[in-house]
Amino acid sequence: MGSRQITEKSLSMLRSLPRISLQNIRDNPNSKLKNKRGRGQHGGDKHGAGNKGSGQRQNFMRLGYETGNNPFYLRIPQEHYYRGHHLRREYPPLTLHNLQKIIDKDCVDTSKPIDIASLIRSGFYNFSPDLKQFGINLTDEGADIFAAKINIEVQWASEQVIAAIEKNGGVITTAYYDPHSLLLLKNPKKFFESGQAIPRRMIPPSDLIEYYTSAKSRGYLADPEEISKERVKLAQKYGYTLPNIEKDSDYTMLSERKDPRQIFYGLEPGWVVNLKDECILKPKDQELLSYYNS
Amino acid sequence: MTSALISAIKRLHISVVPQIRVFSSNAVSVPSADQQNTLTVTKKDWAFKPQYTKPREVWIENIDTIEEQKLGLFELHPSVYAASPRIDIIHQNVVWQKKIRFVSWAHTKTRAEVRGGGRKPWPQKGLGRARHGSIRSPLFRGGGVAHGPRSGKTHFFMLPFHIRLNGLTTTLSAKLAQDDLHIVKDLILPTDNPDYLHDLIEKRNWGPSVLLVDDTDYAPRNITVAVDSIPHVNIMPVYGLNVFSMLKHDTLVLTQAAAEKIEEQLLKWLNADTRTQQQAYKLNQV
Amino acid sequence: MATVLRSQCAFARLFAGKTVQILNNATDLGAKLGPGSQSVLSRKYSNYAHSPFVTKIKEQYDYEIVKKPAEWAFVKRLLPLETIPAVTPKETYPSGWIPPKEEATSLPYFIARTKNHEVPIYLDITYRGMRKITKIRKIEGDIWMLNDEIKSYLKQKNGRYVETRVHEIGRFIEAKGDHVHDLMQWAYSKGF
Repeated sequence: MGSRQITEKSLSMLRSLPRISLQNIRDNPNSKLKNKRGRGQHGGDKHGAGNKGSGQRQNFMRLGYETGNNPFYLRIPQEHYYRGHHLRREYPPLTLHNLQKIIDKDCVDTSKPIDIASLIRSGFYNFSPDLKQFGINLTDEGADIFAAKINIEVQWASEQVIAAIEKNGGVITTAYYDPHSLLLLKNPKKFFESGQAIPRRMIPPSDLIEYYTSAKSRGYLADPEEISKERVKLAQKYGYTLPNIEKDSDYTMLSERKDPRQIFYGLEPGWVVNLKDECILKPKDQELLSYYNS
Repeated sequence: MTSALISAIKRLHISVVPQIRVFSSNAVSVPSADQQNTLTVTKKDWAFKPQYTKPREVWIENIDTIEEQKLGLFELHPSVYAASPRIDIIHQNVVWQKKIRFVSWAHTKTRAEVRGGGRKPWPQKGLGRARHGSIRSPLFRGGGVAHGPRSGKTHFFMLPFHIRLNGLTTTLSAKLAQDDLHIVKDLILPTDNPDYLHDLIEKRNWGPSVLLVDDTDYAPRNITVAVDSIPHVNIMPVYGLNVFSMLKHDTLVLTQAAAEKIEEQLLKWLNADTRTQQQAYKLNQV
Repeated sequence: MATVLRSQCAFARLFAGKTVQILNNATDLGAKLGPGSQSVLSRKYSNYAHSPFVTKIKEQYDYEIVKKPAEWAFVKRLLPLETIPAVTPKETYPSGWIPPKEEATSLPYFIARTKNHEVPIYLDITYRGMRKITKIRKIEGDIWMLNDEIKSYLKQKNGRYVETRVHEIGRFIEAKGDHVHDLMQWAYSKGF
């Protein structure tokens, strides 16, 4: 016999049952697991750990040790492509399919430029700068279905991704952020509450200069003229007609870029944001202005 | 045992009454013939609309006369006031509220702390007696206690955020379903005499113990004075609302503003991303 | 204890008479320190920004307070979302996400969307991948009727009987095996 309408039925049952009070409530039966060591048959036994030795005492051998054999990890040749993996920069991926899903669910506003701060705000992307993660790697999974016109700034993007975004009349920029700037972008509210001045964004390290100055990867330090040439070239390579963004109604949004020294859109380095009184403290001191503008 | 319970439930004649909406137009005012004041029906437009369960309608009552007057109808969100009544979740919340501030001061002395017992009671060998090193060993009468309770043991733990949230919605729903939740317009009394409150509770068939909840932490003078001298009638601001107090009192009386504020806050947390917000409160985790 | 005290005194003697000078060296260029900030003993601070070298600096730079600035819109965009936003109806959803339909609420049973606007159908993998259980959560209305429908749908889809289990108090149904895709399709067809 099953009851119909679970919630309604149980609420109407309660109407005719005694009042729920501190005296007549209880947890579900058997919801608490009693992990007591029994003393009866098997209960007082060795719990499957065997008699004496490493099994009973859990003093296991070190990982990889094979009781005197030449261990497996030393027997096979070394794989050098893993050397220095703990020092390399990591870019946690975000697929174009997931980006489209975020846009479909209205968790990110496409009428504004999208950067790592707005993607973290959406709740569907996260990363940790303290684990040497340097931002978003936008990957090409779902490039076929992607159909949003956006101005997006990521840290790493492949050629297919750039083509997929530019095909829909969007704009993509790859930009470098130092770990400290990424921490601010990850939790801007926490930073504003700390009452510190917004710092400058650092310039990329020497091995990344090439990537971020090249027009092919749409680097933020590349020449805009070169980028517009590369946009046409890519359109010819992938065989799509490039939408003219100069005549687009959202041209001001699509042409919005951050300064290479800027971390947040619209907020300049050196400013202090006061969330409580809703005001911004802007430095006037010549010394500071020259420092933050350098 | 089980069959007795089943037959008891059968005797209750439970039937699900379909929810009939009396008024459907938006914020209608229907003047009633027998009463002086007009009956207002408030239909609400929530940011998070009820998906399947229909909103609950409750009467807005008054407490400025002993006779009950219906001042209007009021809609309550089903996610907050008609949630599935989970007795186990109510129980977990009550246990948590009891344990979170409980420190056990039960204390026993170990063999080291019991006075004396430094000397070996008799020689190890040659007497035919069991070997012992101290007369305060746990085996001895008057000896120390092995594995006894030691004082200052805290029973603090944190119930997961959403179980705490569910505890509030479940208890409010159960109270509403059992006719133990009443909505009043405000807490303005004509007199500060506690007898008035006694009579009112008696007449309305509330209580005897009543918890009054307002949305602010300052209340009109009359009600605070009246409540002050009655130990089983208490008043609480909306931010103090908790499962234990709701169960401790027989009847829960919310002001209209308090009911709205509870609904707003709980709906907000039911529809918010709580991962970053709860990160700081996670215990036993890196 | 005595040794510790002696060493502290020795440390203090080293810096006696020139504390201000030393602390000025440690702070930012040209910063002035207020009285009472001199701590002779070296301490470790969790954060340079919270150390007295920064917190005790007297304000000396010239700045301008802009109230209700035009840039506040840029600050607002950065603040976290209070609740997960509702989805505005669109013509197409290229990602394959499907919005719930209005007619689903007239059915005798209902599967509510999660706060992230997804259908709550999940796969539980236990015993190192040996046991797979598909779980449908947040069921309202007639759970047993929904169970019968799912059973017959899965039987027709798989060509064999599929075991299911109903949890009335928890308001969920579990089906033995990985049927997430099938059940998602079924839920979308019903409009959940």
